[in-house]
Amino acid sequence: MTHRAGADIGGTFTDIFVIDDLTGEFAIGKTLTTPDDPSRAIETGLLETLAGAGIPMESVGQIIHGTTLVTNALIERKGARTALLATEGFRDSIEIGRENRWELYDLQLEHAEPLVPRYLRFDVPQRTLADGSARKDLDEAYVERLAQELAEAGVDAVAVCFLNSFANPEAERQARAAILRGAPDMRVSISSDVAPAIREFERSSTTICNIYVQGRVERYLRDLESRLAGAGFTGSLLLMLSSGGLATVETATRFPVRLLESGPAAGALAAAAFGKAAGHEDLLSFDLGGTTAKFAVIDRGQPLLAHSFEVDRRYRFKKGSGLPVNLPVIEMIEIGAGGGSIARVNALGLLKVGPDSAGADPGPVCYGRGGTEPTVTDADLVLGYLDPAFFLGGGMALDLDGARQAIKARIGDPLGLGVEEAAWGIHQIVNENMASAARIHALERGKDPRTLPVFAFGGAGPVHGFRVAAALGSPSLIAPFGAGVMSAVGFLSAPLAFDFVRSFPGRLGDLDWKRVNTLFTNMEAEGEQVLGESGVAAEAITFHRIAEMRYVGQGHEIRVALPAGNLGPDLVPRLQKDYEAEYARLYGRLGPPVAVEVITWRVVATGPRPEMTALAGGGGSTDAEAACKGTRRAWMPELGGMTDVKVYDRYKLAPGAAFPGPAIIEERESTLIIGANADCRVDANWNLVAELARAEAAR
Amino acid sequence: MTARTIDPITLEVLWNRLLSVVNEQQVALMRTAFSTVVRETQDLACGVFDGRGRMIAQSLTGTPGHINAMATGVKHFLSVFPPETLAPGDVMITNDPWMTSGQINDMTVVSPVFKKGKVVAYFASTCHAPDIGGRLFSGEAREVFEEGLRVPIMKLFIAGEPNEPLMQIIRANVRTPDETIGDLYAQMSSNAVGAHSLLAFLDEFDMDDVEDLSDAIITRSERAMRDAIRQLPNGVYTNESWSDGFDEPILVRCTVTVRDEDIDIDFDGSSPQSKWGINVVLNYTHAYSSFAIKTTVSPDVPHNHGAFLPVHVTAPAGSILNCQEPAAVASRHIIGHFLPGVILGALQQVMPGEIIAGSADPIWISVWHGRENPGKDPFTFNLFQCGGMGARATKDGLSATGFPSGVAGVPAEVVESLAPIIQTKRELKPDSGGPGARRGGLGQYSEVIAGYDGPLAVSALVDRIDHPASGVLGGGAGAPGVYLVDDAIRPQAKAQIPLKSGARVRLDPPGGGGYGDPFTRNPDLVLRDVVFGYVTIAGAARDYGVAVDYIGRPDALVRMPTDYRIDAAATSSLRAARRG
Repeated sequence: MTHRAGADIGGTFTDIFVIDDLTGEFAIGKTLTTPDDPSRAIETGLLETLAGAGIPMESVGQIIHGTTLVTNALIERKGARTALLATEGFRDSIEIGRENRWELYDLQLEHAEPLVPRYLRFDVPQRTLADGSARKDLDEAYVERLAQELAEAGVDAVAVCFLNSFANPEAERQARAAILRGAPDMRVSISSDVAPAIREFERSSTTICNIYVQGRVERYLRDLESRLAGAGFTGSLLLMLSSGGLATVETATRFPVRLLESGPAAGALAAAAFGKAAGHEDLLSFDLGGTTAKFAVIDRGQPLLAHSFEVDRRYRFKKGSGLPVNLPVIEMIEIGAGGGSIARVNALGLLKVGPDSAGADPGPVCYGRGGTEPTVTDADLVLGYLDPAFFLGGGMALDLDGARQAIKARIGDPLGLGVEEAAWGIHQIVNENMASAARIHALERGKDPRTLPVFAFGGAGPVHGFRVAAALGSPSLIAPFGAGVMSAVGFLSAPLAFDFVRSFPGRLGDLDWKRVNTLFTNMEAEGEQVLGESGVAAEAITFHRIAEMRYVGQGHEIRVALPAGNLGPDLVPRLQKDYEAEYARLYGRLGPPVAVEVITWRVVATGPRPEMTALAGGGGSTDAEAACKGTRRAWMPELGGMTDVKVYDRYKLAPGAAFPGPAIIEERESTLIIGANADCRVDANWNLVAELARAEAAR
Repeated sequence: MTARTIDPITLEVLWNRLLSVVNEQQVALMRTAFSTVVRETQDLACGVFDGRGRMIAQSLTGTPGHINAMATGVKHFLSVFPPETLAPGDVMITNDPWMTSGQINDMTVVSPVFKKGKVVAYFASTCHAPDIGGRLFSGEAREVFEEGLRVPIMKLFIAGEPNEPLMQIIRANVRTPDETIGDLYAQMSSNAVGAHSLLAFLDEFDMDDVEDLSDAIITRSERAMRDAIRQLPNGVYTNESWSDGFDEPILVRCTVTVRDEDIDIDFDGSSPQSKWGINVVLNYTHAYSSFAIKTTVSPDVPHNHGAFLPVHVTAPAGSILNCQEPAAVASRHIIGHFLPGVILGALQQVMPGEIIAGSADPIWISVWHGRENPGKDPFTFNLFQCGGMGARATKDGLSATGFPSGVAGVPAEVVESLAPIIQTKRELKPDSGGPGARRGGLGQYSEVIAGYDGPLAVSALVDRIDHPASGVLGGGAGAPGVYLVDDAIRPQAKAQIPLKSGARVRLDPPGGGGYGDPFTRNPDLVLRDVVFGYVTIAGAARDYGVAVDYIGRPDALVRMPTDYRIDAAATSSLRAARRG
């Protein structure tokens, strides 16, 4: 059982990546996703990949899986008929939301439609106060009766979110028991289990998302388990979480909302693993597909975690327009920029690219499927970055003339620019948009983007990665082999991990350390239990403790690491010092002279992180000239425009191969573009690394 | 680089970069702010200004009264402290209502950015301080001097060090010294974060200053704004609306004149300056007027100095919309928030598709002040709440959503963690949306009580209790607001009142107005509103002429959509009866 397999279900393809942990030999498989029954594609893809590589199923010890099922169920509103039980007077918290407009000037805006319609939201006689005391006890008989009626009405999922339940979960637990007395088959999630932190709107929303998708996820995972067992798999099936940790099927079924965004999370993990192998512990992960670009900061070999995000944004990329989910998630920024992004000249006579996209249908003009508005892909084609005859390895012919005409008519002529200049403008502006987003994202996390190598993947990542890196002032670009299956690779670099959180605010000077120690003991015991269920021995678990701190009166916390063991007041000076150092790093100087408090306490319980074995088994030679297929005319502004650029075959470049830019490096799923004045080499993991130290900036 | 040499593509790149700089500034501000007013309700504005004090970019969110007033206010800082009187690390401050956003609680903090020893730009932010001394935030003052501490344009930091005497004076004069001072630190820090990024940006693009860039930005924005205005037919359009006022209703009357590519907005005919603290300085009148034009005429044009140039706002000196010193102004937003609605109403004849029906308008702010027991510090807490927005031409209005202000509400759990008060109810209020072919947004039904036995006072800055939001083109008015103590006593709004122990305070922000004749609303939409409890069965018949029957079990707790049906015959006769 020396093999592990990663399986990532995407919108179009299901990717399989199998690696032999002893030798580093790997196999890649791609099969069409089967939306009606997604587990079928995993079975097919896995069997095909194993057969192709001559690996028997019995030697696969672990399959790690990420799925967009939860995201899709929420976006398409294909979850259970769900009810909400709220503290009386507060059933509308998910509809009232934050009471603001996230776009100041748009009078036509819409809020995200709540998952639970108002007629399924109920006031329950009960009230817990901020200190956890009960102002009014729960009317259990009422809840029981309500549950019976809900079951009769065909409701099969209930979320319970009572005010201040993060301070005392008792009433929610009583409510769950009462619901199950009234309706024994009802699925129930209580907010103090799912996301026990302050803010009723966000906590309710998270709890609802969880129970809304639970039935679907459970059916799917059971089905997948039995399919894999039927195919002879006897190892363990694990699920990737949005936090980048792994969980068993049991845990994933209890908290399915934690499966959200697990594919993108895995991409960031792959960037971390490959970056580490290449000697870069800090870098910027850059995933560019057809409609969106995603960036994640990798810090000391790990992606960063955020504790809230949004799904189903009504206005795709606008903060505030989606359903809030407050859970640990690998922090990334997603913007509406990709191959399909549409370019237009706006009322100010400026060139704008995105965020609207031509999508896959009609797609870019050059797809020849009726698209009329020029896109980023059209510009890339006009600039010679894509080969009209070798798109998707020659699987799809591109209409160069169509792309040229559209860019001329809609961009070049109105701006008084030639076709190539206009196409370069599109290319440059989409890169700038992405770089701007990445820059803010990095700076908000206290990182200077000019020190971070860019790790580029996704279908269009390699086409734009070099210029994005240049716009950011990055020292280098790292382009992995097999950029198209990076998420599946990333699954294999994740450890088993789970996060726990407790709210227990107190000023540094007068914390109840006994209570704090109890919180940590309990969270760590839970961690041992959850990870133990999937076979991690207690002594192999590491616990990472975090205090989220702020000046008394602030609303946002910064994270400070805590030591293991019994904590006490002697820790206070160190905590104060660590807090101040982090604050000064983020905001330039200290805040006013007021006390510091801790708001929440977190534990991340992590099993051993699998060592990524150096990939082995690729072909090629160290002589780059041998891999050169010829030349192609491509736009290199630093060389004055269209120029002959060498085209290399990625499959013929082995570790050690080196060559200067400009260069075009082709593989089946993507094309890598390197500008002039850069040095390229292939590293031990088959990554292509371009040093930008001598490169000109993008403009 | 000169303005002529910035080609459209480079300009787009530079402009984007500038926007990312101001958004960094805002993120830092919200993350380091102390008061809930800034960090939860986002009652703030951030912007970057060129060396001549012209705003060239603002951050994404914030509230128009601050953004636009700050935009026009920075010039005062420049005249008090010309560049040669500033040193690196200096930070300026004022809350002078006539120079900035018209309210003594609003602190504007401006930081110069130095490059090669020269001031090349300014970062500014305006935030609503949780307390500024004087009377508790209300409309009761007769003169601005009663409303708190006025800080003239001064240095808050001198060469990077706090101006301690000023800090001490502020601390000694406010009820929330840590929060008020903490927010000033946050404003200073966020300006510094913005400056740091701007300098990196200038270095990267090898620019000495932003002047050519600002010329290009302002010229193009002004041009686009003018082009948008040109689409409107020339003409003179008028409208008026009533606020409850303090002790007597206040009339807001506007005349909008479209002249080719300029718009004049004049408020002659509005009520005179009030003797209470609800007066509006011209700067704030201008802020909400230009917001109204931008949001209807040119929502896509970037907001900067250039976008203000074609909009000309006037009001006679001594008008409530151009009050003169020493008028009291603390609750100026009450009147100021009416302005966009009044202007949109005037434009309904020419832009029926873009405007919206009347909204709840003023945000509801209630300030709670008390002391749990003699051993504890007294507390002051600002609760923000929003009523419904007016209906749109093709969509219902948004419920419980602030307009025109951009501020957010405060979660009940955050309220209760910070102040010993308890919200016992916070829900959408049925039948509060103005009836219409498109229904107005719903207001709220809410109640607050003290969480202890002891002294508590509230100052509720609320409006539209007597003058609900009006409908347009046949739509009905939204429900008026409700402010009651113990369900019976109607206290003076905009004044501080003491509460008896155990008192219950009802605060129901009003609903938005409807758009179009409600008797033409699709009966299926009315049925849906009944199912969702947005409209009652009685309301459906009375306001929409749609007869809906509930056919489920009379005692059922769970009432599904199939438990309701439209009585087609009764609906026809209800609708015919009104036509007849």
